[in-house]
Formats: sequence, structure tokens, C-alpha cells
Amino acid sequence: MLHSDRPVRARASRLRLLPGILLRLTVALVYLFLLGPIAVIVATSFSPTHSMAFPPPGFSFRWYGAFLHSANFTGAFRFSLVLGICAAAIATVIGFLTAYAARRLMQRHGGVVQSLAMLPLLIPHLLISISLLMALNFVSLPDFASLLAGHVLICTPFTVAGVTASLDGVDAQLESAAMTLGASRLTALLEVVVPLVAPGVLSAFLFAFVVSFGDVYIALFLSGPGTTTLPIEIFSYVQWESSPVIAAITSVQIMMIVVLGLVIEKLVGLRRIMRI
Amino acid sequence: MQSSRKLLIVFMAPATLLYIVFLLAPVSFFLAIGLMQYDAIDLYQPVLTLANFGRMVLDPFYRDIILLTLKIAALTTVLTLLVGYPVAYLLARGRSAWRGVLMFLVVAPLMTGEIVRTYGWIVTLGSEGLVNRALLVLSIIHTPLQLLNTQIAVVVALVHILLPFMIFPLISALASQDPDLVRAADTLGAGRLRAFVEVTLPLSRTGIMIGSLLVFTLAAGAVVTPALLGGKDVQMLGQMIYDLVLHTLNWPLASACASILLALQLCFVFLQVRANRRAVRRR
Repeated sequence: MLHSDRPVRARASRLRLLPGILLRLTVALVYLFLLGPIAVIVATSFSPTHSMAFPPPGFSFRWYGAFLHSANFTGAFRFSLVLGICAAAIATVIGFLTAYAARRLMQRHGGVVQSLAMLPLLIPHLLISISLLMALNFVSLPDFASLLAGHVLICTPFTVAGVTASLDGVDAQLESAAMTLGASRLTALLEVVVPLVAPGVLSAFLFAFVVSFGDVYIALFLSGPGTTTLPIEIFSYVQWESSPVIAAITSVQIMMIVVLGLVIEKLVGLRRIMRI
Repeated sequence: MQSSRKLLIVFMAPATLLYIVFLLAPVSFFLAIGLMQYDAIDLYQPVLTLANFGRMVLDPFYRDIILLTLKIAALTTVLTLLVGYPVAYLLARGRSAWRGVLMFLVVAPLMTGEIVRTYGWIVTLGSEGLVNRALLVLSIIHTPLQLLNTQIAVVVALVHILLPFMIFPLISALASQDPDLVRAADTLGAGRLRAFVEVTLPLSRTGIMIGSLLVFTLAAGAVVTPALLGGKDVQMLGQMIYDLVLHTLNWPLASACASILLALQLCFVFLQVRANRRAVRRR
């Protein structure tokens, strides 16, 4: 009786493993789908010819060279870098002040402030962008200023969330202790809190930069001659033409973002900033 | 205490100003224009009317665009749910050492932005792209398929772009479930499939709703992806708003269309708030 039971049990346990194996297989396929197109871009960027074929018929750096020699694309790349750094810096300062006020200076309603800070994420970016364009009809602002304002808006929710997460990791009593010992709130903030949350603030800054750099929707209406961001430059080029030079540019962008992503992951963890 | 209050005002001022001047004021103004009469010269006439909303629903040209948008957004939502659920399940329940890496690989593509990933699909779906080459090599087809400039291309790319927005709410919903519940169902003889269908799935309902609404809204508002992958046949709401603002210059109608997007997004906010409140109560 015991003897004949064994193979049945073995089969049963194999059957129990099957869903797990199927699940892993499915997930592997989804990752292939998720990463495939990005891998294809990087592969195509090394194409030696004009062909967009996959796999590319050889290997060369000519499209990276073409990118460096195209004034339009390098200009847009540089503009996006400057815009991203400015927007991220302003958003980080605003995010820090808001998060600190919500977590440390308010007895109640701190949570409400944090929720309200998420507002730009809850309104379609397309709508924000058109509204700012419309506003320009009544108040004249330089093109760069309106674009910058739009980018600061869409970055601020992430900086508020990022700084809040790292403030929560710092014991509020440290500040109380510093103030008991005679430091003013501002001194305690600058000399106790800021050094402790520096990694979180830096990650918030980097993430905000990535958000600004990848944005299409705000720039769609607010980019103008001389203030064209890289995604908009790519968008208008790709509508008419197809060339591996775009693959080279986007590969540079992908590598930059992967590096920044790894830095943020090391500093505080990506998910804590994204809050999704 | 007085100084702390002053500090609070100073600290809150920049964000408050930013949100009022650059967000609330312009957006409310733009939405209000949706209730005004269209005027070819002054953009709008300060006369209250519901004509723009009426035109959007009754004019077959705009109605078809809205119906196509709803169809593509719905298809994208269902597919992201089907594709995202297994990933979320494994990430929420698995104890693999690779979990951190797998999580990173979901987030990293999100950071590259819509234009990069749309471009990835242009290259992948082209007549000499990976998909057509693979099908030719496997002799499944003999002439390259026309994949670009189709609704399929738009849906596939949108699923790819929006997948992380589905996966994360699902992970939150699945991770907050007590794994003992499934074990209990198992002990009681439910079997794995039944335990999944009757315990895990209903309990992740909130995550499914939040993820779906988020994906649906973002898909319905997409501009770049349908413009680059859909060709002439695919005209979606986002593109229509873009054309109305920049080419047709019918701002009142554009505003009426944009308020549909906003309404969809507000549904999402409402669900999210309700889910959060419930989660707090459970704790």
C-alpha cells in the first residue's frame, strides 16, 4: 500500500510545481517584451549603414559621430540638460521646503499639504501645457520661463515625495535636542537635518532631472525656436524621416538614465521616490 | 512659537505660489473657455454655452475620434492587466534574490520617457525590424507585414509604455494581502487555481481598479505614440486636442475635449482616495 503510493505523490508534487514554472515563464516573456525594444534601439545605433534592419548588418560608431556633428540635436540635447538641471534644482528646493513644513512645522494638516503637492500628477500634463500656453496670451513671459515653470510643476510632486520619505527616516528628536542645546530652528535644520537627508535630496534632484529630460507633453506646446527640448526635436524628426542617428541619440539618453537610475537605487531606492 | 509660524509661511510660500500661478489659475481659466463661444478672431466670445460639449458628442467626426480613443484605451487597459498581473504577483509574493533587479527593470524603462520607447517600437515593428525578421526566419510569413501605422502598433506600444503604471498598484494590493489566506484556502482543499480565483483575485480588486483607471487615462491622453505609430488611420483624443490648439485654433472645443481627460483622471483620484481610506481603516 505504502509502496504504490509513492509515484502518485511524486506526480502530484510535480503538478503542484507546474503553476510556478508557468508563472516564471510568463514573467520572463513579459520582461523580454519590456526590454526588447530598448535593446533593439541600442543594437540599431551601431548600424554601419542607413538601414534600420535588425540585426544591423555590421558594427560602427558612425551614427554617434553623426549625432555629434548635428547642430540641431546637440543643441537640443544641451538645452534639455540645462532645462533639466534648472527645473530639478528649483523643484528640489521647493520640494524640500514643502516637505519640511509638512512634516516638521505643522501639527495637523501635514498630510493634506502632501496630498495637494501631488496635484500636478493628477491633472493630465497635456492640459497643464495648453493652459500655460493660453496664459501666455495674456501675460507675456519668455519662452524659456514658461517651459521652466511647466517642468518645475511636473517635477515638484516627486521631490516632495522623495524628501518626505527621507525626512521620515530622520528622528525628529535630533532637532529638538539641537534646539534644546541652544540652536535656532534654522541652525538645527541646516546643521543637523540637511546632512542627514542629503542622499534623499540628491536622489530627488536626480529623479526630477530624469522626469524633466524625458517629458514630451509639457514641451509639446511650450517649446519654441531656440527652446526645443530633445524629445520634441526627436518627435518632429521622426514624424518625417527614419535614420539610425535617432537610435544613437536615444541610446546616449538610455545610458545616462540607467546610470542615474542606478545611483538613485543605491542612494535611497527608486520606488520610494516614485511612490507608485 | 511665533518664529516657527513665520518659518512655516516662508517655507510654504514657494510651492503655494507655484501651484496657484502656474497650475490652478491657468488650468481653471482654460477649462472655463470650454463653456464659451468659439470666435475665429478673438479665440472665444465671453458668452456661456454648452455648444462645444454638444458638438463633441454629436458631430460624427469628433464622436468617431472619441469612440476610437475609448476603444484603444480599453484594449490597452485589458492587455496591461493581463500582462502585468503575473509580474506583479511574482514581485509581490516571490522571495527570489532577483526581486530587486526585477523591480529595477520595471522602473528603468519608465524613466526613459515616452518618445524613446515609442521610437523603440518604430524600429522593432518596421518592415526590416525584429518582429518581421523573426517571422520571416521562422517561415511563418513570406512577405513582411505592415505593422507600422496600424492600431495594433499603437496598442502594443501603449501597453509597453504604461505597463509599470499597472504593475505598481497591483504589487501594493498583492503585498498587503495576508499570504496565510491562500494557505488557509489550500488547507481547506481549495486547490491552487481556486484559491487564486476566489481569494487572491478578489482581494486585489483595488489594485486592479487603480491600475486600470491610471492606464486608461494615460492611454486616452496619449499624443506622441499614436502620432508616430498610428499613421493616418489612428486619430485619438490627445492628437485632436493638439490639432485644435495649434492648427484649427478652436480653443473652446479643445478645452471641452480636455475636460473629458480631466474627468477620467478625477475618477482615478476618487478611487485612489477611497482605497487609501479603506486601507487606513483596516490597519
